[in-house]
Formats: sequence, structure tokens, C-alpha cells
Amino acid sequence: MIVFDQATLLAFTPPVLVALLALVLVVVDIARPARDRALTLIGAVGIAAIMAITVVIGPFGLAEAQVGLIPQAGGYEAFGGVYVRDALTAFLDLLLLSIALLTILFGPDYLRPRGLPTAEFAAMLLFAICGAMLLGGARDLVLLFLALELLVLPGYLLAGYAKRDGLATEGAIKYFLLGSFSSAIFLFGLVLVFGFAGTTRIPEVAQSLLGVSELAALPAGLLMGIALLTTGAAFKIAAVPFHYWTPDAYQGSPTPVTGYLSVGPKVAAFALLLRLFVEALGGFKEDWTPFVMVLAVLTMSVGNLIALSQDNIKRLLAYSSIAHTGYILVGLAAFGAATVGSPAEQAGLEALLFYAFAYAFMNLGAFAVVGALQRRPGVTSQIATFAGLGRRAPLLGVLMFLFLLSLTGIPPFAGFWAKWYVIQAALQVGGWLNVLAVITVVNAMVSAFYYLRVAVYMYMRDPAEGAPPIEVGTATRIGLAISAAVTLFIWLPPLATTLIDITREAAAVLIAGS
Amino acid sequence: MENLPLLSIVIFLPLVGALAIAFIPRERLALIRGAALVTALATFVVSLFLLLGFDANVADFQMREEMEWIPAFGIEYKLGLDGMSLALVVLTTTLTWIAILASFGPIVDRVKEYMISFLVLEVGMIGVFLALDMFLFYIFWEIVLVPMYLIIGIWGGSNRIYATIKFVLYTLVGSLLMLVAILGLAFNYQAATGSWAGAFDYETLRAFGFDPTLQFFAFIGFFLTFAIKIPMFPFHTWLPDAHVEAPTAGSVILAGILLKLGGYGLIRFAVPLMPDAAQAWAPLIIVLSLIGIVYGAIVALVQPDLKKLVAYSSVSHMGFVTLGIFIFTEQGLLGALTVMIAHGLITGGLFLLVGVIYERTHDRTIAKMGGLAATMPVYAAVLGFFVMASLSLPGLANFVGEILVLVGAFEYWPPVAAVAGLAMMLSAAYLLWMFQRVIFGEVSDFLRGLGHHLRDMDRNEALTLAPLVVLTVAFGLFPGLLLNLFGVPVNDFLASVGAGTLAGRP
Repeated sequence: MIVFDQATLLAFTPPVLVALLALVLVVVDIARPARDRALTLIGAVGIAAIMAITVVIGPFGLAEAQVGLIPQAGGYEAFGGVYVRDALTAFLDLLLLSIALLTILFGPDYLRPRGLPTAEFAAMLLFAICGAMLLGGARDLVLLFLALELLVLPGYLLAGYAKRDGLATEGAIKYFLLGSFSSAIFLFGLVLVFGFAGTTRIPEVAQSLLGVSELAALPAGLLMGIALLTTGAAFKIAAVPFHYWTPDAYQGSPTPVTGYLSVGPKVAAFALLLRLFVEALGGFKEDWTPFVMVLAVLTMSVGNLIALSQDNIKRLLAYSSIAHTGYILVGLAAFGAATVGSPAEQAGLEALLFYAFAYAFMNLGAFAVVGALQRRPGVTSQIATFAGLGRRAPLLGVLMFLFLLSLTGIPPFAGFWAKWYVIQAALQVGGWLNVLAVITVVNAMVSAFYYLRVAVYMYMRDPAEGAPPIEVGTATRIGLAISAAVTLFIWLPPLATTLIDITREAAAVLIAGS
Repeated sequence: MENLPLLSIVIFLPLVGALAIAFIPRERLALIRGAALVTALATFVVSLFLLLGFDANVADFQMREEMEWIPAFGIEYKLGLDGMSLALVVLTTTLTWIAILASFGPIVDRVKEYMISFLVLEVGMIGVFLALDMFLFYIFWEIVLVPMYLIIGIWGGSNRIYATIKFVLYTLVGSLLMLVAILGLAFNYQAATGSWAGAFDYETLRAFGFDPTLQFFAFIGFFLTFAIKIPMFPFHTWLPDAHVEAPTAGSVILAGILLKLGGYGLIRFAVPLMPDAAQAWAPLIIVLSLIGIVYGAIVALVQPDLKKLVAYSSVSHMGFVTLGIFIFTEQGLLGALTVMIAHGLITGGLFLLVGVIYERTHDRTIAKMGGLAATMPVYAAVLGFFVMASLSLPGLANFVGEILVLVGAFEYWPPVAAVAGLAMMLSAAYLLWMFQRVIFGEVSDFLRGLGHHLRDMDRNEALTLAPLVVLTVAFGLFPGLLLNLFGVPVNDFLASVGAGTLAGRP
């Protein structure tokens, strides 16, 4: 019997509020159609309020964040442990809500001139975020899969909702076909794991598989299950060689949607990796770590190399996002390769979370500038459209330059700290991870070439004749200010130290659980 | 005076100026230029206060500033000053205001962005010389890269985009490997002591003494970075491109300060943190230095372009710096440091002079010049002075440095000194030949065609060169002014490598 005790209520409040907010937006749109401005405002304020509530609920060990609530050890468990709100869930929720907030702010500037409705965009986005938040706290294989589907289905719709645009439809269909295909593979993997564990609860899965992991050789079925799960997850994070859907889906989607797709589902898929591979299958890490290491090397190298030859900014950022997936995977590889119980284990997970945080803000910022440039329908995604941006719109140019430098990993911007965290974790583990660290920095060097190519267009080429002035709407301005502030000031002690503390707590949850 | 954080002020004053300039409307060129010059001069004045407050006899870093930054990893905001960093900081502040003043005429497009870039560049350069935390050092090191990328890429010559991307990629290759090396050292320290506290602190790490195998690999990371920046043969190929394409003031800073970042990095970080590895690698580095000295001079000999000639002469001169460092003798290191300062002044002057002629002719081809002594007598005299200074005329700053390096090299192994001495003759050859072709003889048809455009140096140009002339003479006649400052850092350096008991010394 389901008991709605206090813990359940607290645990479920944020995702439920997000779903409610999505419904409110739909209802408002029906009652008062075509009020895009009001919808954006309601959406943004609503998300900000949910973020505040999430901070209050916690549970972080930080005393000041706990307003009158006593955090339970191990977080708030809902419905007898199907869903848990611990420090990791809270961290991921805040990150995902920030992504939703920025995406909603960046949307209208691009969508309105093209006659694309804001309400559908915002509602779909929030449903997807709700799924992502459920994924972040899932402690049950069934919930894990349901949340995953809730995450990706609105994504397919968003990718294709510019339905008169051929490219969008093509991208959406590819995304949908490969997405459902990978979901099926993933589900099959889950079933096999369930077959061996006899339970769907993640802590119990970990427990019951402990006995299996002590066998000399793993049963073929379980190995098969783990392989299928890894493949499915690799599709979701767009790791090479499971990345083929990414460039087309990114290129075809409306730009704000592309921005969301490049961070939202990615962060959520990494949450899935953490809950599944670290928490449930942590005992088998020797079996999946080599695979993750190879994936990491392939993903960052191939992503960067292909990005070098892109002339379309959205495809360029798509391949760049693949490369960043590779860097994040180094964090997971560091966890996997570290000796059980060593501090390096936790460092790898911290690096993963920190990277995801920094990446979300800088990448969304870069896509926001791309979107602002394309506010006038008809502006293509060619890099040539950036020519002379430094002259046409100096502030926008500086912001794009900031995001590009950060993506490259130039200090003191966010991307540098993220890379530093990952490399630091890899070096702590040593051995093969030293090699991985060197490959990471070599890749960062390669990536400088294509990021700086965009900067070359912005500052070292003259604008096209008669290029119209660029106007940026208020919502986009606010969003850009937020992402630029995080990218630029992440090193300031209060922000940096709090962020490190929170990632540490979130990672500690996983270490304690695995 | 006592309690003012002078080091932070000297680092961040240019940033304040840059932020202020960002709010000036871009049409008000005079105001932007004025604000940039005032900022640079104010920074220069603050750096003179450092000089006044500095005691060359104290065997420790002075005017320290320490603040916790990211305690979770033991990263601190830590600054300190010794004689070596003081000399380089004052060189930086001097050359920066000269460079900004020298840009007033040539730079007319996007002046606002230009001045902001220059001031941000100054923040990075001064920061590198004052940081005592490895992490802070790395951040300043990379900050230097971005404005220089813009300065070459936006205000450079026709092939500027190629040059600037090459510059950035070369520099990044090294510096990212250095990041891995820094983290490797920090983590090793953390693993040994069980705490992150002090893991990025230069002084703590220096006293720690790392495992030789780790040193061997970490040294590669550090050395590549600094060798590319100096630049050492065979990592020098970005330099001629960058110099040729950079605007005059960019070249002045590039040659005057940016190359010194590499030398400073070797002396301050690479060798003292990894002394065993430094000794193991020293023979190879000495050979590369000698090749660089001779190769730079020979290639300079055949350059048709004035700027390329000066650029390759830098490769040759900087070879003396690396040679002086890695022979691990007192004279060698004193010489290396003096060459660094002298080269900053003299090559800065030479690039300014090339800029003066380029402003008038829009050409730098030596073959098109001739007979400038008749049309531009003051210019001819000043160029003559810097040519003499660059070929190590006794009584001028460069002579002191290079002769000290030679003395050190002779003590190390006479053949080394012989090769380096031979190259000094080559440098006399390429410089005097260039001088003869440009200054003496008949006025060339090309120059005659310019007519009255070919006026002599104006007041601004004279003002930018005068301090360089004065300092070159002063340090040449009274080398003690510089050498006194270097006493303590040189002793520290030699103590760290245990000089006198050199393995691998022939």
C-alpha cells in the first residue's frame, strides 16, 4: 500500500510541481491564446520558484539550506524507495531546472518570428525536464525506464515541431527512430539484469548481484545485459560510435531546441549512468570500465576531428557536444578505474557532475547567441553568418567569444575548471588514466582550432554587405546574463566553494550507495 | 604604503582601466587613447613603488600576499616579489606604456578593443611574474594568450589569421601539457602528505622533492610550454609568422615580454621544481640552444624582410638565455637574466624602428630601402644605436648579458663557448649588413618616389624610443643596477640544482 508520508511528499514535490507548471501553461494558452510574453514570464518565474523550493527541501548538508526540516540520513525516500531525494537528486534537479529556465528564456526570440507557438514549446520542455528529474532520483529499474521515456518523447516532438521545415522533420525522424531503437536495447538490458537480480530496486539489485560478481566468470546473460545497457546509454549520451543521430537532429531542430537537446537529455542520461552503472552495477565496474575508457577516447577524438571540418554552426556545436561527452566520460572512467574505497573514486564522480554543470551553462549560452543571430527568419546556420559580429553587435560578440573560450577550456572561465576537475581526477587514479588525461588535453588543443575559427569570423572578417542590425529580446538578454555570469565568475570563492561542496555531497551519496 | 596590496594593485590596475575604457563610446578616440595611456603610466608608477620598497638583500619573496581561494584543493591566491620578477615587472610596465603610445598613430580601427586587449594582456603578463601558486600562475599564463590572439588576428598584416592561429595552437600544445604536469605534481604531493593544503603552493612544492621518474615526465610538460614560448629551436616556427603579421606594438610586447615568460618559467618553475630532471635533460637543451643561436643568426642573415630579420635574431638571442640557464653556473644564469632584460629593451626598440619605417613606406623589404641616412638622419642614428646594442657592443646592456653567458659556458665546457662566440660574430654580420643596406648608399628609387612622406621621426616616436636608449646605456655602463637584483634568485636557483656537483658535465 502506498503511504503518502512526509518524506514521500517532500521527495516528489519538485518533479510534480514541474509537471503542474507544464499543465498550467497549456491551460493558460487555451484560455488566452497567443500570449507568448505572459507564457514565458509564467514559465520562467514558475521554474525559479521550483528551484527555490528544491533548495529549501534539499537535502544538502549545508545547514543554512535546511529551513526547518530535518534531513533524513540517505535522503527522503518516496513510495518505499522507488524514488529518492538525496544530495545527488537535488543537485541534478537544480541543474536541470536551470537548463529549463535558460531554454524557456531563449525560446521566444527565435520561435515568435517563425510563427512557432511558445506554449507547446514550454510545456513539452517541462514534461521532458520532469522526466529527467524523475530519472535523477530513480531507485527502481522500472521507474528508471519510465522516466527515460518521459524525458525523450517530448524531445522527439520538440525536434520536429517546426513541422513545415523539411530539415526539422528529417532530423526528428532520425532522432525518433534511433532513440526508440536504443530505448528498446536499453529495456532489453534491464530485463536481463532483472532476470539475474530478481528485483527491480536498485539497492537490492546491487546486493543480489554481489554474489554473482564473486564468480570467476560472469554468466553470459548478465554480461549481455550489461553490454545492452551500455549500448543503450551510449546512444542516449551520443557517445561515438552511437552518435550518428546527433548532427542531423541538432541541425534540423529549431535553435533553442537544439540548445536544450545538447544539454538536457545529456545531463539526464548521465544521471541514468550514475544511478544504474555506479549505484546498481558498481560491483561490476572492472567489466564496464574498459568499455567506458574506449568510449571516452573515441567520443572526444572523433567529435573534435569531425567538428574541425564543419561549416554549419549547429553541426559544429553538435560535434563539439559529442567531444564534451567524451570529456565527461573521463570522469566516469576515473571512477571505474579507481580502487574501490579510494578517494579517487569519488573525485571521478565529482568531476563528472562539475563538468556537466559548467558545460550546461556555457553550451546553452553559445546556442543562445546562435539563436539571437537567427532571430530574423531566413538567416542560415552557416558560420559565415558570424562574419563581423564583433562590429555588428559588440556585446553579443564578446559573449560568444566568452562561451567559445570557455568551451575550449581557457582559464579563468567555467570550461577550464571543468576540464581541470576531470584531468585532476584522472591523474589521481593513475595508470591508464594518465594516458586518458593526456588524450583529453590534446583534444582540448584540437578543439581550440574550430572554436577559434568562429572567433576568426566574428572579429577578423568584415560583415556581409547590408547585414541588418541584430536585436536581442529581453528574455534572451536575461538568459545570456545568467549563463555568462556563471561561465565568467565560476571561480569566485562563494560560488566555486559552494559548487564544489555540493558536487562532493552528491558524489558522496553514490559512493556510500555503491 | 606598508599595508597596501601593491602587487595586486599593479596586476589589476590595467584591468580596471580596461573596464573603464569599455564604457567609453567608441567614437571618442582621443579619450580612449588617453585613458589607456594614463592607465599604463599609472601601472608603471606603481611598479616604480615596488622598486622603491624592494630590498635586494632579503633572501625571500617580498610584499607577499596570501589568501585562501579554493581550500578544497589547497589553491591559494598567493603573490610574491623577488629581484627577478621585479626586473621583469618593471620591464613589462615600461614596454606596455611605450607600446600603447606607439599605437596612437598606426591603429585607427577598433581602437577601443585594441586598448582593452593591450591592458588585459598586461594583467596576464604581470600576473605570471608575481604568482607563487602554480594554479594562479597557469591562469595568468593562459590569460596572456587571448589578447595576443586578438591583437595579431585583428590588427595584423595580410596573413594574420594564419599567423595568429598558429601562435595560439603552438602555445596551447605546450600549456595544456603543463597543466597536466602541474596537476601531476599537485596530486603526487597530496598523495604523499594526505592533504591538499599546499599542493599548488610553489614554495611548498619546491621544498618537497619529487620522485625522479615523475620529475622526468612533468619536466617534459613544463619544458615544452616554456621552450615554445621562448622560443627554442625547433619550436620557434610560430615566431617569425607572428612577428611579421603582428602590429608594431604587438611585436614589441611579443618580443619584449612574451618571450621572457618562457625564460622566467624555466628559471622559476621548471628547474627548481624538477632539478633532477632538469639535469638529465640539460645536455640536450644545451645542444638545442647552440643550434638555435647559430641557426637564428644564419637565417637572419638571409632575410629579405626587416621584421623577419629581427624575429630570427630573437631566436638567436634567446638561445643565449636557455644556454645560460642550463649550464647551471652563476655567470651563466646572471647572463641569461641580463640578456632577457636587454633583449626586451633592444629588440623592443628595433621593432619600434621597423614600425617607424613601415608607417612611412608600408613596406619592410630591405632591398627597397637605401640611403636613409640622408633623408632621415635621426632615424639612422637611433637605428645605428640599437644595431650596435643588439650585436653586443661593449658598454651596452646586451654585451653584459652575452659575455656573462660566454664566461659561464667557458667554465662549463670551452667548445660550447666557442660555438656561441662564433654566433656573436654572425650577429654582427647580419645586423651591420642590414644597416649598411638600409641606411647608407644612394637613396633608393622606391624611397625617392615617396617624396616628402619620408619625414624623420616625430616627437611621439622619439618619446617611445628614448627610455629604451637610456636604459640600454644605463644597464651597459652600470650592470650592477641589474645584477644586484638577481643575486638572491640566482643563489636560490643554483641551490635547487645543487650546482657544482653536476652530473653529465663534460
